[in-house]
Amino acid sequence: MNPRRKIAITGIGMVTPVGNDAPSTWSALRAGRTGFGPIQNFDASGFTTCIGAEVKNFDADSAVRDRKLRKFASRSHRFAFAAAEEAFADAGIRPENSTAERWGFSVGAGMMGFTFDELKNVHKFCAPDGEFNSDGLMHPEFSADPVAFCRSQTNAALALLTHHFNIRGYATAVHTACASGGQAIGTALKAMRRGLCDFMLVGGYDSMLNPIGLSGFCLLGALSTDNETPERASRPFDLTRNGFVLGEGAGFLVLENWDAAEKRGAKIYAELAGDGNTLSCYRITDSPPDGDGPIQAMEQSISDAGITAGEIDYVNAHGTSTQMNDKSECAGLRAVLGAHVENALVSSTKSCMGHLIAAAGAVEACVCSLAIRDGIAPVNANLETPDPECNVNIVRGKSQPKKIRAALSNSLGFGGSNSCLVFRNPEEVK
Amino acid sequence: MSIVFTGFGAVCGVGKTVDEIFDAIVNGRSAIAPITQFDAAKWPVRVAAECNVENKILVADRKLHKSISRTDLFGIYAADMAVQQSSLPAHREKMDAALVPKFNDRSGIISGSGGGTYRSSYDYLPLLTTAKGGLQQFGRELGNTVNPMWLLKNLPNNVLCHVGIRHNFKGTNTTITNQCAGGIMAVAESAAAIRAGEADRMTAIGHDSPFEPETVFHYHQLGLLSDDALRPFDRDRRGTVFGEGAAAVVLEKSDDAKARGVKIFGEFLGSGCVNEATGILDVRPDGDGVSRAIEIALADAKISRDEIGMIVAHGNGTRASDASEAIGVRRVFGEKIPPVTGFKWACGHLIAASGITDLVLALAALQKKIVPGIATLNSNDPEIAPFPISQTAQTPRGDRALVICRGFGGMNVALIVRAANS
Repeated sequence: MNPRRKIAITGIGMVTPVGNDAPSTWSALRAGRTGFGPIQNFDASGFTTCIGAEVKNFDADSAVRDRKLRKFASRSHRFAFAAAEEAFADAGIRPENSTAERWGFSVGAGMMGFTFDELKNVHKFCAPDGEFNSDGLMHPEFSADPVAFCRSQTNAALALLTHHFNIRGYATAVHTACASGGQAIGTALKAMRRGLCDFMLVGGYDSMLNPIGLSGFCLLGALSTDNETPERASRPFDLTRNGFVLGEGAGFLVLENWDAAEKRGAKIYAELAGDGNTLSCYRITDSPPDGDGPIQAMEQSISDAGITAGEIDYVNAHGTSTQMNDKSECAGLRAVLGAHVENALVSSTKSCMGHLIAAAGAVEACVCSLAIRDGIAPVNANLETPDPECNVNIVRGKSQPKKIRAALSNSLGFGGSNSCLVFRNPEEVK
Repeated sequence: MSIVFTGFGAVCGVGKTVDEIFDAIVNGRSAIAPITQFDAAKWPVRVAAECNVENKILVADRKLHKSISRTDLFGIYAADMAVQQSSLPAHREKMDAALVPKFNDRSGIISGSGGGTYRSSYDYLPLLTTAKGGLQQFGRELGNTVNPMWLLKNLPNNVLCHVGIRHNFKGTNTTITNQCAGGIMAVAESAAAIRAGEADRMTAIGHDSPFEPETVFHYHQLGLLSDDALRPFDRDRRGTVFGEGAAAVVLEKSDDAKARGVKIFGEFLGSGCVNEATGILDVRPDGDGVSRAIEIALADAKISRDEIGMIVAHGNGTRASDASEAIGVRRVFGEKIPPVTGFKWACGHLIAASGITDLVLALAALQKKIVPGIATLNSNDPEIAPFPISQTAQTPRGDRALVICRGFGGMNVALIVRAANS
């Protein structure tokens, strides 16, 4: 058997609630600056939670210069365009006609297709009294909007990005709730190892910060209701944590075969070294309290990377700031890391950015790449009263310099999908 | 190492087992009929291939009906059928208890899901009326009007989650939301996972229920729907017709299947997946994606084009897709195209479930050595001819079938399978 292909991360791009590109996001995370506040994009004052982590001052016109394309792109698709463009520019390589068929695409896609305004339009014509009557769609004044229909397709971002960037090889879109972004990257790693592509654009995007998305999470009681103190609302691993803060954004990375990247003199952030992927088979929203499921995912990713748990110097936790997740994840971490749990630094950058849902795992993969490059474990903001049941070595107070040999990133989703990725410092890769 | 199919399940408008569906097709029966699920009397398009199997037959547990959506019922049903047929649960019961956790961790699931629907959002319509257009009121009344589990009911990965819980398959998994390509990619990725040693056995599922008023409306506006029959590759084809349903397969290593002594239904040989980079709706007229996907699948299967015994085409009945598909097929096979058929004229277009349904029917066709005719075919399109399609049954010229699946977003997937015992 041929030696397994090594995969390099050579470009990253991010649009997040704490910055509209990778450098500004990373500097906010290092400083522990949070991106929470009252929701501005619509009147959320009647909802049980009216705070969120919105992307701010995002310039859609410059993110998507092609006007026709911009029309087809939803808010979250536009984040994806901006992050993908940044990742390509950062990598210094992009598809050309001669290489387009060897470029692949894998994305964790948000689940929201329609917009609130479109629903209101349907309500006006089909359901003024609340009951849906399909004949309303036949009303001469009901505006058929084929562009909105296209935008609502589950693989619309795949379609728009592959078209715009001329990616003609393997392409996929996945959705496993909060595990989507991590699984998209794991899928890409496996596709590249199979030799399906020589380069890939991978990532995730999402925005559920609209009346319907916010409703979904409010109804479940998953969100922090600390409307008076938004900056402190997301506090993973704190004893007083009471839910997550809904965020939005996108993260994209450029992957290449390691040898080819080295040969062209590309800067390599990290090796995308290991993937672990399991299903908890427990309950739709909860993870098992003993960490079963995430444990196997973490173990798999470490062994897939060809390292030992003792080499994990930084863990970017899923750390949503819900009671259940953080407890279960820490139980899992303790089981996997063993005695090394004292040394491995753990933080949840959701403490600053909130929860980006389908984009979370992809953005956090970018964060792990930067943490390795700069030798810095970013702070877990807002940790004041550590939960004794979350007994891991959390980066508290301020970010901590540390040479990171390998970083591990967890993404655990509703529905029980657990994705764990391992990134290795290029200096450790022989 | 060869990878084999040891379980099948399928449900759609023409039947609720693979055999029922295949028999209907061979007998020229289509499920395409006037719409009953909503009042379409005043609509320009009044037909669909509805699947009217009762919910309690699809999923016996009535409590579950409240927490999942229609498409999920189909997916869980097909998956349960495939898993039961593989007799993996019975095998596990006889196992040494100490080996069970590893068995579960090495059993994976990939679903291809249609994902977000318009219908799901209608749960908010009464609230919009109550709120009289005010968002503040909308937020205040939310908890009194909408099911607290609304979000969970509409997760695209529900089938993955529930099939996992039902069978305790805890290994590698994902839900592919790549429109039409989802179900067939679930099979390709499942086989790849076994090949790469990530799992020992996989359940692949595709399910969809695209058939709802708003989707019918928009497809019609785009000129993609036929208002009577679906006539793939026909000179007078006018568009596609929606269906609904699901299919599922269990894949495992042939050595494991033989050791368990279970029936083997066929073998997975290879797959290819490419994108045409044409945006959301467009296809390349030169069939570029179709031919590249087939070439990659042939190379992956390590066979030559001459070894393909039959082709199950995507054949969705739209002008542009069928024409370019035929051109793409001819680019690979030249003048020696094996017998071609398609099944959407009978089952309707199952979108995320379409490719995987075609796959299970292709294996049935190989097993019975019949390439079913396309009953709705009136006259071959001279712009496509020569193209070996027929209203009557043909005979496969070998024991391997090529299945083609195309989707929005420039997606083209090809998959090659072989009949069992050959």
